[in-house]
Formats: sequence, C-alpha cells, structure tokens
Amino acid sequence: MFQNYVNIAFRNLFKHKLYSLINILGLGVGLAACILITMFVRDELNYDTFWSNADSIQRMHTTFNVPGREPFVTVVAMGPAKEAITTYFDEEIEYSTRFNGLRPIVKIGDKSFDENVHWTDPETAEIFDFDMISGDMRETLRDTSSIAINETMAKKYFGDQDPMGKVMTLTVYGLQRDYRVTAVFRDLPHNTVLDFQALVKIVESDFEENFSFLFSQWFSVNNNLFFKLRDGVNPERVTARWDEFADNGVALPLQSLREGTKPSDFIKFSSMPIKDIQLNAVGGGEMKPTGSMMNVIIFSSIAALILVIASINFMNLATAKSTQRAREVALRKVLGASRVQLLFQFLGESILLALCGLVLGLVLVELTSPLYSDFIGKDLVFSYVDPFNLSIIVGLVLTVGIVGGIYPAAVISGFRPAQVLKANKSAETSGSAALRSGLVIFQFAISIALIIAAAAVYGQQKYATNIDPGFNRENLIAIPGVSRRGMVENQQAFKEEVLRLPGVVSAAYSFDRPSTGNESNVSVTIPGAETDQSILIGRQDIDFDFVSTYQIKLLAGRLYDRNVARDSWPSTEGVEAGQILEANILVNKTALAKLGFGTPEEAIGRVIRIGRGEQRQQDMTIIGVLDDTKFQSVRRQMRPELYPLSDSSYLNLTVRYSGDGAAMADQIRAIWERIAPDVPFNFEFVTESVLQEFTEEERTATLLAVFSGLAVLVACLGLYGLASFTAERRTKEIGVRKVMGATVLDIVRLLLWQFSRPVLIANLIAWPVALWGLSSWLEEFPYRMDFWMLLPMCAGAGAIALIIAWGTVGGNAAKVARRNPITALRYE
Amino acid sequence: MLKLHNLSKVYRSDEVETVALNSINIEIEQGEFVAIMGPSGCGKSTLLNIVGMLDSPSSGEYIFMDEDVAGYSEAQLSEIRKHNIGFIFQSFNLIDELTVEENIELALLYHNIPASERKARVAKVMDKVGIAHRASHMPSQLSGGQQQRVAVARAVVGDQAMILADEPTGNLDSAHGQEVMEMLQSLNEEGTTIVMVTHSPAHADYARRTINLFDGHVVTENLRAAE
Repeated sequence: MFQNYVNIAFRNLFKHKLYSLINILGLGVGLAACILITMFVRDELNYDTFWSNADSIQRMHTTFNVPGREPFVTVVAMGPAKEAITTYFDEEIEYSTRFNGLRPIVKIGDKSFDENVHWTDPETAEIFDFDMISGDMRETLRDTSSIAINETMAKKYFGDQDPMGKVMTLTVYGLQRDYRVTAVFRDLPHNTVLDFQALVKIVESDFEENFSFLFSQWFSVNNNLFFKLRDGVNPERVTARWDEFADNGVALPLQSLREGTKPSDFIKFSSMPIKDIQLNAVGGGEMKPTGSMMNVIIFSSIAALILVIASINFMNLATAKSTQRAREVALRKVLGASRVQLLFQFLGESILLALCGLVLGLVLVELTSPLYSDFIGKDLVFSYVDPFNLSIIVGLVLTVGIVGGIYPAAVISGFRPAQVLKANKSAETSGSAALRSGLVIFQFAISIALIIAAAAVYGQQKYATNIDPGFNRENLIAIPGVSRRGMVENQQAFKEEVLRLPGVVSAAYSFDRPSTGNESNVSVTIPGAETDQSILIGRQDIDFDFVSTYQIKLLAGRLYDRNVARDSWPSTEGVEAGQILEANILVNKTALAKLGFGTPEEAIGRVIRIGRGEQRQQDMTIIGVLDDTKFQSVRRQMRPELYPLSDSSYLNLTVRYSGDGAAMADQIRAIWERIAPDVPFNFEFVTESVLQEFTEEERTATLLAVFSGLAVLVACLGLYGLASFTAERRTKEIGVRKVMGATVLDIVRLLLWQFSRPVLIANLIAWPVALWGLSSWLEEFPYRMDFWMLLPMCAGAGAIALIIAWGTVGGNAAKVARRNPITALRYE
Repeated sequence: MLKLHNLSKVYRSDEVETVALNSINIEIEQGEFVAIMGPSGCGKSTLLNIVGMLDSPSSGEYIFMDEDVAGYSEAQLSEIRKHNIGFIFQSFNLIDELTVEENIELALLYHNIPASERKARVAKVMDKVGIAHRASHMPSQLSGGQQQRVAVARAVVGDQAMILADEPTGNLDSAHGQEVMEMLQSLNEEGTTIVMVTHSPAHADYARRTINLFDGHVVTENLRAAE
C-alpha cells in the first residue's frame, strides 16, 4: 500500500508539472527566506551567551535626569563606581571591572597605528574567559606594563613571528609607556558586545595629573562597568537598591543639590544582564553598534508571513486541484479505503512536496548565505549537524506540509464517491472556493503591507539623509585627532600649511565634527531671572573660520571679530575665586527657545551665565545667533548650543575644498605626516560620515525590500497557479460565453476582474494596518517624513500588486480565451 | 439561408489524418427544420460546429446568408454568429454560478443592449418556455428538462434566425425529450430555422427533412411529406 502511495505521489508530482513547480518554487523561496532570517534572529538572540559566567554578568548603566531636558541615558559608569559598588554590594557582587577604550597610538619600530586598545581592571580575567592562544590573561592584567593582544593584531604587527615578549609603545592622554606582549587571545567572536583588539591594566595614577576624569572622578561617565554576581545571588538584590546606593554610597558632585532633593533624583543607576545588551540598547557608550529588538521582531514576523504565504499557495493549489483527484479518491473509497487512510495519503503527498521545497530552499540558502552574511555584517553559516538547525528544518517541513496539506486532505478525502462518479457534477464545494479567495486576499494583504513598509523605511531614510543640516555638507573633509600629542602643539602651523594648498577654500578648528555623537554640555543660568534653575546647553568650541567653513547662516547679530578682545574665551588664570569673567558668545536658534529669549533679534545683547570652577562665574553677552546645525544624528532632537571662541579644546580640523577630494586628502596627509609623523592621520568626508549613520536603516530598508519582494513573488506564484486552475475550471463557462459572442478581450477582462477583486480587497485591509504600524514607527524619529507621504506609497503598493497580479493572470487568461470553445462544450 | 459546397474537414495529428467531412454539399432554406442523423463518429457534430461557425472547414465553400464565410476571421465569425445563430447542447452547458435569468441574459450581454431591455426580453422568453417561476434558481436546482428549457430560451432570446441543436434530448428522459421537441417545433413554426443532430428517429420525425451522414458523406436526404 505504501508503495502505491509513493508511486501515485511521484507520478502526480511529475504529471502536474506546473502545479508541482509552483509549489516547490514557492516553498523553496519561502523556506530559504525563513532559514536565512532564523539564522539572523538566532544569532542576535545569542549574544554573549558563550561566557562561562554569562548568567551572572551584568553591566552598570548611568542615567542623568537633568532638569529641563530629556534624561541623558548612558550605558557607561563613573570610574570610581567600580570600587564603590564592590564595597556597597559586598555580599552580592564578586568581581567588577571597567573597560575604557582610549584609542592610543601604538608604535612598533617606525610603524604607528590607531588601535582599539581598552584599559581594564585585573578582574576582567576573573569575569570573562577568553580563548587564549598563548600567555595568561590573569598575569597580564596584573602587570602595569604588559599587554594582551588578539590574533589579528599579532598578525598585523608580527606576521609569523612569535608575538610573545615583543614590545609596543602606547601613547595616549599624556601617557607614553612600553608594553610587553604577554598574552595573545583569539579574536572576540562577532556575537559579543565587547569589542577590543588589546587589553592593558588601568593604572589610575597614570592619568591623575590632567586626565583624572577617565577613571578617578565622579562627574564623568566613560567606563563600561561589568560586574559578576556571587553564585546564586538574585540580581534583584542589586537592582532594587540602586537608588539607595546613589543616595548613600556615592560622593556625587552635585553642588547645586537643593533642599529636599536627593542624588537619586538626578542620577539613576541601573544594570542589565550582559546577554540582554545586544537587543536592548538603551543609550550612548556602547563599544560597538548594537542590534535592535525591533529588527528581530520585524524580521521574525516577515519570515513567518512568507511561510504563511507559501503554505497558503500550497493549500489553495491543492484544493483547486482536488477535483482532478476526485475520481481517484472515489475509486479508492469504492475499493474500500477509509477516510483516515486517504487523509494520510494526501498529507504524505504534501509533506513530500514540502520536502522537495526544502531541498530547493537549502540550495538557495547555500547560494545566498555568503552574500547575506556579508550584507548583514555577520559571519553566519548554516550548519547541518547543529541540532537546532535540524529541528528547524524538520519543524518547517512538517509545519508547512501539515498546515498546507491538512485542509485539502480533509476536503479531498471527504468526497462522496457516488457524487463524484456521476461525472457531470463538480466535486468542489462553494465553501472551499470562498476559502480560497479569502486566503488570496490574506496573501496579498500581507504582500501589500510589506511593500508599503519597505517603501516607508526607504522613504524615511532618504528623508533623514537629505534633510537640510543647516550647513553645507559638500566638499568638507573633517580631520580628527588634532588634539593628539605631537599635533596639538602644532595646530596653528598645520592649519596655515593646509590653507596654503591650492584648492583649499577655508579651514576651521572645532571641538566636534558632524556625526560623532559626542556631547559636551554646560549648565547655564540667566542672571536676574526669577528662577535659579540651570539649563543644560551643548558646548561646541570653534575658531574664527568655523561659521564660514561650514557655511552656517547667521540669523541675527554678528560673528566673532579678531579685533574684539571680549569675543575670545577668557582664561581663568589669575582670576580669584568668586569673581565674574566676561565674554561675548554665539548661540544657536534652539538655545534661544530653551532660554526663552524670543526671536534671534531680541536675543542679541541678552546675558547668560556659566560656572568656571572654584566659584568663578562667567557672564556672556549674546552677540550673534546661528541657524541650527545638525551635527548630531537626525535621530536625536536638535540640541541647544553655544559656540565659545576657545582654542584649548579643538579635536578636529574641517577643510572646505574645491576639486578632487581624494587628492586633497592625500595632500593634507602629506602635511600631517611631516608635522606629526608619530600621529596616525585620519580623515572623513562629511557627506560620507552622514550617510554612514544611516547604514543600519539602509540595511533594514534593503532587507525589507528583498523579503517583501520575495513575499510578493511567492504570492504571485500562487496566484498564477490558481489562475490556471480557475481558467481550467471555468473552461465550460468560457466556452459558453464565447458561443454567446464574447470576444477574447471580454474573456480576459472577466478573468482579470476575478483576480483583481481579491487584490483590491487586500488593499483595503493592508492600508489601514500599514498606516497604523508605520505611523507609530515614524513617531520614534524626531525628524520624520510627513505622514501623508504614506498615502501615495499605499496607492503605489496597491498598484504594484494589481499590476503584478494582472501580469500573472493575464497571459494565462488570454491563452484560455483564445481556445476553441467547442472542445470545452462537447467533451466534458 | 445557408449553402455548403464541396466542404471538407480533415483533422491531422502527427501520425493520423482523419477525414471528418468529405466534400459535402448541403443547402438549407430559411424556415426549414432539418435533422442530421448517423452513427457515432460520422461527422454530425463536426458539421454542426462548422455550420455554427465554431470551427472552420479545411476546404470548400460555406455561404451563409449570401456571404462566403469560409475564410472569415474568428472575430468576424463571432460577429455573424452572435446575431444569427443560437445553440442548444446535449449537456445544456449552463453556467453553474449564474441563475436561470442570468444564464439567459448572457446571450444578450455581448450585444450592446441596454439592461432594461435585456430584462424585458429575458422575462418574455422565460414565459414562453415556461421557466419564469424558476428565474432566480441555480441550474443545479433544476431538472434536466428544465435546464434544457433554459438553454432553449438562451438560444432564442437574441431573436436568432437559426438554432443549432446538438442532440438536445440526449440527456433527457422521453417525456422531457418530447417537451423540448415540441418547443423546437413551435419555434420552427414561428419561422426559426432549426438544424438538429439526433440519434432518435422519433425526434427526427419532427423535422421536415433528415440528412443521413456516414463516414463524412451525405448518404441520403429524406423529405417528409407535408402534413
């Protein structure tokens, strides 16, 4: 009997080639998409699970609740917090460690590079188990002049030589020290939130003199602070007591703490299990870009939807085709087959078909996974020996085979032989036809919604990248690193030489450059105002040429003047405590709104006050208002800014040029290397760095487009199959109509309309759903495209679906309509 | 009305050549009632299909209302057909998804006739064949005889000059078969030309002339004496 089933199954597979092809193709594409997405999702969900202590490692986060602005959320902690928490939570926390990536210049012989070296505490070796190639991490991190490097770095500097014992010189923040390589570890896998090439021990005294903010000061957050809970300790015991810790355990520098307020009103500590970090990024300070739970959810849903669409094809085609099998079923029943036997026979056939689909799907996965891995920036391989993968495969086939096959099998096995064998009756019930249209509507609703979503993500990305940044992004080269030792002393000479290059229009020093995400704030008060509440305003130190180089619009007042001494940022040298300094200042438009100064014209002449340390204060008269410039990601709100004319904290030189950018960069590099040969030269084109901010969105948009395209493809495959079967089923009707005088066009129109209807209804379902979902998605962007832009996208998606459906059905319809009617009418 | 001259139809497949009609000469006058008889496979249906312009002859002339339509395109044939010829089939060929009324209306749908007039004409013809009380039923709810009456109504609703009936009683019991024959007879008496393929000598007797086909040839033509 089984042999008979298998024979019939294979013969049917080959006999109905179109049907089999459509199903296998649809399933193959669907399963491939599903597997690819599963690989991605699984990877995202398994970050940092490989550490032995994965379950008990947490990271401490710091959030500042500054009055008058949205909370400043970071995933980093203050340097002294390390000791503070281990003492305060002595019973709960076993080890804690800091990571601080200082990006030193690493010099070996005459080679010098920027490297991602992290300063860390010895406990790192207790908390994290690194995959060591040689040497010992514990020993290394206990020694102040040992360095642990990864395999890549070992290869880069030492090639095939043994790196152990080699010496490299690290220069950063006033520190210059020779380190001996005493450990080499395998490169961190991609599925961890940690990211560094090398580790050295934190020696706080190294930075005490000028850079104590790095590790020893409470006011600065710049360390990734991980801690390991003691065995069996419930994390609750720490998380529930963070406020208490803030109020008791920390010497917070909140001089302005008013009566009735507690430190925990301003600073919120929290912690997060290391395994949760990748998908629950909360704020700034990550070692590398994290993933997003949103994407994981979106892509998982897409995978499920594509699979649903493919399963629906399966179901639809099988029921549509069932009439053709009616006679076989009837005969089997006459010969004594039970319904259950038939049910299993047909389920078996659909599982066989699903298996064929799976084989195609796996081929597709193999073919596309290198490209896919590359595109999503992960090293993903589909392993066939992995039990999880195997269970996914088996699960998918069974799910699709059974979900897609159970209904048709139930219908077919339920045929009544007497009716079927009476020939002239159609064995199909109107119920299954209605179900089919319902399913087609559902398929197309999904496809249309996905197309709209892809268009919207793409549209938002285009909108965000093309938004007017308030300055001219074209022809700007930004050069970071000018504060590095070796260059900082020569800033003036460097700029002068650059300006002498032909093609250089202008050049300006500034603290920040576009798209860094850096933030430096000062607390501002308004003298004589009713409240003494301070307002946090961003500080961007600039030079005389900044406004003209970036081509920022002056809204009112004047720019800095070299002849006005008061324009320059005054030095505090020799100024007694309690005294008030004076200066002129430029601010941006958003600052006016924050300060409540009305229009730019009205703001000119108003005075704001900041502290300059040791109870000194500084009053600054607003002399000019600049238009808002979006240096920071447009994903964030525009921030208020003031622009001190101060030469002490420049980090970047920006050059406006004309002509060939690459050649210009080379010329600037030559000057840099002559002036500061030990400092690596870096540069970026501002247009590119702005675009880079959106690589994530672009990636999402592209993936969404690809997968929604696949969804539409699979849905159309189904539609094509269905159209052929319907045309088959309606042959008689078409014959009659033709005899009655219908032309080919009439018939084509008839069939097109039959399939346009479900697509049109699908639009009515997809639009509101997509509009609702996407409008709430857009809410998250401070700068977002107009909601009404979604409407043409809806109409476009609907039109695309309709046109594809027409194209799919039309050719077939024309073929059927051209057929001679008598064949249909005579021999039924 | 129509004249076939030396008309042949040959079907070819890769290996066999089947001659369905072999140099047939037939003339049918307006208002005639002609029965075509013969054993299975003699070419009756092929003849009917060619006369009904659903198929084209391989060679010979087909003069329909003074026009040689043998070389006409499908669109031209369709145009002549829909204004002049009605069809009745053995298996009724009603569309299952349409009601009785809609099935009949179908014959007018491709004629550019306003909906109100269509309704009126359908109502009239339903009265005539006695199916008006079933107007909104589906074909599957009707008996065979009733279905064939609907088919007849559909064939005449467009005021066609000629009706081609392909074994119209083949699927009916004798009582219903007779009912349909009487209906055809009364249509003929009103002036409609009727050409009918049948196996039943009794039903052939309704016709005024019987053409006997055998292996693609006209064997005999019997003229029934006027009553």
